[in-house]
Amino acid sequence: MSRHERSDKKSLSDKPKWWDTFPWWGIAIVAILSWMGYQILTKDSYDLAWDRVIPGISITITATLQAFAMALALGLLAGMGQLSKNVISRNLARTYVEFIRGIPILPLIFTVALVLLPQLQNAFGFKLSFQMRATVTLAFIYGAYMAEIFRGGIQSIAIGQVEAGRSLGLSRRQTMNSIVLPQAMRAIIPPLGNDFIAILKDTSLLSVLGVLEVTQRARQFSASTFKFREGYFVLAFIYLILTLGLSLLLGVLERRMTRDDRNVRSGRGID
Amino acid sequence: MISIKNLSKTFNKNIHAVQNVDLEIAEGEVVVIVGPSGSGKSTVLRCINRLEIPTEGSIAIDGVELTDPECDIDTIRAEVGMVFQQFNLFPHLTVMENICLAQRKVRGRSKSEANEMTMKQLLRVGIPDKADSYPRQLSGGQQQRVAIARSLAMEPKIMLFDEPTSALDPEMVKEVLDVMLELASEGMTMAVVTHEMGFAKAAGDRLVFMDEGMVVEIGPPNQVFESPKEQRTKDFFDKILY
Repeated sequence: MSRHERSDKKSLSDKPKWWDTFPWWGIAIVAILSWMGYQILTKDSYDLAWDRVIPGISITITATLQAFAMALALGLLAGMGQLSKNVISRNLARTYVEFIRGIPILPLIFTVALVLLPQLQNAFGFKLSFQMRATVTLAFIYGAYMAEIFRGGIQSIAIGQVEAGRSLGLSRRQTMNSIVLPQAMRAIIPPLGNDFIAILKDTSLLSVLGVLEVTQRARQFSASTFKFREGYFVLAFIYLILTLGLSLLLGVLERRMTRDDRNVRSGRGID
Repeated sequence: MISIKNLSKTFNKNIHAVQNVDLEIAEGEVVVIVGPSGSGKSTVLRCINRLEIPTEGSIAIDGVELTDPECDIDTIRAEVGMVFQQFNLFPHLTVMENICLAQRKVRGRSKSEANEMTMKQLLRVGIPDKADSYPRQLSGGQQQRVAIARSLAMEPKIMLFDEPTSALDPEMVKEVLDVMLELASEGMTMAVVTHEMGFAKAAGDRLVFMDEGMVVEIGPPNQVFESPKEQRTKDFFDKILY
């Protein structure tokens, strides 16, 4: 009798067991990071590498935040530009996006930071540091990626929302700002988070211009001491801490948004 | 009040949704447009507030020509309320915010003025207690009534209804039609595309029967229902009326 009940329960219940949903990967990552941290703390050669590399973290973080902020503005501009009624802004935005997306990041950094920007500097008489030039280039590149995210997010909003806004007498701009963009953010924020992390990692490319961020410092340390293992071990550890911390933060934000989303999608439940 | 002359709308160069439609709507009149799917009735309605741009012909509201590229369409639209089949409430805003948005931004009302008008209109459609709910928390009938209140809060001169009950569960149709009937009895000028023949009989001053983008017949609802002049009209009502 009891055996019967139990087997019945098993076949009816879809509830997963705790070990099925437990975040084992989190345990694994914490274990790996702890082991790496332990190496750095206890071994002198690793400790030395840490001391030489870690000062670069402020440049890495500054460049990430600056590039992300600029890319956000550029992306919104180019994304809206692609949806514009104006034929010139539409084609300008499209050209920018297609051009950037077709070239790998490294050659773009060389071209923009070492050719294009210096020419602009001569023409308009301003002066940017290598760090700023590389940051601007990163923003320029990620602006094009983000343009596609913004465009997709805006286009995901049903046309009926725009028609409802316009039929009430709201202008195109008012409809975009008060009705479309706030709803599009739901679709836009998760992929923007991915690009945030990607920018953080791609600041390592600033090293090719000699900017003293963490990668360049690890390279210098390794080259001058021949301690390649220590230098790059510490570098990997620093990037992991930064990216995992950031994705943890973004995960919280995203979960909050999708929880909201589920309520919307569940349709018209009776209050 | 609304004067439609020789209106034609062609999609993709070869789909003739509306062809040579003439229609006058007087102040305080309720005009009900019926016809089979794809007969162009919604397109006519959508041309009246220029959600569709007419291919040919002219539409004038209170003497202002809509097809004139110089006309300020946002100002005209504020005077023309529109209710959609799919409600089109703004899901990220509460009922109160849905109704206040255009009042604040287009009519330039203060927050307290807009709130007051919102509560007045919610009372009119019978759901003043839902002001702080989100659209997703309401039934379809309630959502459509909020949509009506949202348009009415702009104090429009005319209301357009584009199949307002077609997306509703059957038991919610009446609560929306009741609001529309009351609006008609208060003298609102209305153009209604619908399949609700009961509403057409009860509130319609004139019935327009459309087919294949053209107006087939116009007349008082009872006359068109009971003794249609055109064979096409008769066939249509034979099929849909029990």
